[in-house]
Amino acid sequence: MVQSALIVAFVYWLIMAVDYLIAWQTLTRPIVVAPVTGLFLGDLHTGIIMGASLEAIFMGISAIGGSVPADATSSSILAVAFTILSGADVETGLAIAMPIGTLMASFKSMTTPIYAALSPYWEELAASGNMKSFRIQTIAFQLTLANITGVLILFFSVAYGTTALESLLASMPGFVTRGLAAASSMMTGVGYAILLSMLWTKEVGGFFFVGYVLAKYLGMDSLSIAILGAVIAITSFMNEKRYIDLKNSLSSKGAAAAANDEEDFF
Amino acid sequence: MAKNTLTPTENSILRKMFMNSGMVFVTFTMTKMEANGFTMMMQPALDVLYKDDPEGRKVALRRHNQFFNTHAVLFSFIAGLTFALEKQKVENGSIDDETIQNIKVALMGPTAGMGDAFFFNCVRVIAAGVGIGLCEQGNILGTLLFIALYGGSQLVARWYLLKIGYSMGTSFIDTMFESGLMDALTKAASILGMVMVGAMVASQVNVNLAWNISVGDTTVIVNDIVNSIMPGILSIALVFGLMKLIKKGQKPSTLVIGILIGSIVLAFFGIF
Repeated sequence: MVQSALIVAFVYWLIMAVDYLIAWQTLTRPIVVAPVTGLFLGDLHTGIIMGASLEAIFMGISAIGGSVPADATSSSILAVAFTILSGADVETGLAIAMPIGTLMASFKSMTTPIYAALSPYWEELAASGNMKSFRIQTIAFQLTLANITGVLILFFSVAYGTTALESLLASMPGFVTRGLAAASSMMTGVGYAILLSMLWTKEVGGFFFVGYVLAKYLGMDSLSIAILGAVIAITSFMNEKRYIDLKNSLSSKGAAAAANDEEDFF
Repeated sequence: MAKNTLTPTENSILRKMFMNSGMVFVTFTMTKMEANGFTMMMQPALDVLYKDDPEGRKVALRRHNQFFNTHAVLFSFIAGLTFALEKQKVENGSIDDETIQNIKVALMGPTAGMGDAFFFNCVRVIAAGVGIGLCEQGNILGTLLFIALYGGSQLVARWYLLKIGYSMGTSFIDTMFESGLMDALTKAASILGMVMVGAMVASQVNVNLAWNISVGDTTVIVNDIVNSIMPGILSIALVFGLMKLIKKGQKPSTLVIGILIGSIVLAFFGIF
């Protein structure tokens, strides 16, 4: 089982590594993941067939806005692995694999703040101007530590079953898990605070609350808010343009008038 | 917009930027999201533009290592546009850092929405529909077709969006600069940017309290009371508090670690 677990973990690592380096969000889809897992475990045909049904299941589950309800990639890998390794039917494999999404989410919410704490380091590294080192370090990080949680979770799930991981999660002190989860949703606040401190002026600052109210009170999505925001921005632009045109025409008229006066005089 | 032909130098920069366009999600963090990807994508352009100004290059690299988040494909469009803006800044100083930042921020939200709507909800569903049909019969061609349709279309779109972004940026900024409308544009961009930042803070920054005060038989759920003043007032307080601290010169790393430790301590006392 350990050998299969290693293969499964490797498949996850490979798919995440390649897809993150080309940013396609294509190779992580079940229809690709399932055949690849099947191929490595020696049963490509089951992988392909399961890829079709898994893709259909996960089709409706979208990951817009960063919140992933169930991790399609790891669930698909596990479902295929369980089906091939235990000889179960597709439905059983899928039922066993489904809790992995929740497990992934719980463990990842613990590592998120740790990765977020690194972003000042990346900024200093970029600002040092040594982009070769920046590139090597970021890619090396992406290939090793960035997905280590997922790789380990998949390895242990296949080797020892998902129940072992669930009890590990339950044995963590509650306040650590809750604290880390709270911190990870506040981390984004630091990024926005940096942005705001650069963009904020008295003249436009109030528009922050326009966007806030539209999103929080009215629950509008980002595209519809962007359309309204663009209308406000264009109106403001047209207004400013009118003043600038007026100023330009006044000064050119003044100059023209002055020139005419001189001609008349002579 | 397609009328201006690109010089060989511009073409080679754009090609190098395209090669880096896959780095969007490399070392994605919750604090700055795609900042590292953006820095790497801008590097070929900055290397050429700031060839004789190493200090300016460092400042520019830091400028493009700020919070950034949009769809992986439309990312290229903004990068192309930013290249044009940086070029204007270096060549005739008509643009300042804030304008560049404002335009980037203003475009994040709309492009993310468009990218998700077009690629995630349309192209992906069509490609999956074709792929599932073939895979059901055990044909590996389904998977390959899915990769070619969904991945391939993104690849092609990235290259053209990068070029469109660059040439649009160049011609647009030229017009703006000639007619003296740069200030008006900056203001418009910062209004849109502010609206989008407000919307994103509302949906992405969450401060939820798990704090209950028991007085005799009644239990007071503090989170509900605080939110009844204004939904998510704590997230606004957090962001503005952090902004004040940053303006006072606090380092972001201190803030990140402070939040981490603070959350765990507060969770220990049952507040989170």
